[in-house]
Amino acid sequence: MDDLIKLVRTYRLTAGLPDRERLADDIFSQIEPKMRLFVNGKIRPQFADDVLQEVLKAIVISLPTFSGLTSDGFVGWCRGIARHKIHNQYEANAKASERFQALPPEEIWEHMNASAQDMPFATGERLDLDYAMKLLAESKPECVEYLVKHFVDDLDYDEIAEEENIKENAMRMRIERCVETARELVA
Amino acid sequence: MPRETKQAEAALKKLGQRVRAGWAKKHPISQRSRETVRTAVREQWELEQKAKRERMLSQKPPTKNKGKGKDKGRGFGPGE
Repeated sequence: MDDLIKLVRTYRLTAGLPDRERLADDIFSQIEPKMRLFVNGKIRPQFADDVLQEVLKAIVISLPTFSGLTSDGFVGWCRGIARHKIHNQYEANAKASERFQALPPEEIWEHMNASAQDMPFATGERLDLDYAMKLLAESKPECVEYLVKHFVDDLDYDEIAEEENIKENAMRMRIERCVETARELVA
Repeated sequence: MPRETKQAEAALKKLGQRVRAGWAKKHPISQRSRETVRTAVREQWELEQKAKRERMLSQKPPTKNKGKGKDKGRGFGPGE
């Protein structure tokens, strides 16, 4: 992840096609799974892959205009493009999009277990993850949406606030309240 | 923020990191996406090359300076 911004900046300064293709392969090997996760949470599965391709194309085309300095900034910028494309898709075909779809708990565990193949769970980590799952299970649907967007999809407060059309600080407070309420229910 | 709430946030953060890592492992970039990216990179590069060629063609060829009337153009250069 740390070298992502270096790859992006090098890509922007590279003139030759073979070098650009190689750099794009490296950049999108990191970006594509993140965008797939993002798009899958917002678009019905049968349309998600087509929308993802539109998103990737738009990122390549817009890449010369990206002026950020951090990898996180770049990922956020890519999500902005994805959001725009998803909005277009929603307008083009209302059936394609639907409200937020959280990953089912068994799928969340599948992913967490898959991550342990490369990075085994530390002592006590499973207990923490169990606790986090309970927090999600006890949360109201609206809170599940906010918590998953912030903690799983890794969206910043301002990004979620923009989606919800509210101020960043109000979003931060909503998420904090959701965590607090879930914690009280689990205790 | 109470300590317990911070612990709850930390657990959710850990869950998020694990889900993202597992997701990336289970869903590496697809062949279709790889092709989409390569095609877009190539098309973008070709457009740039075309624009570059058109820019070069649209530039007027430099006029020959025969050494006559050397001072005629003075007064239009930078700083003058």
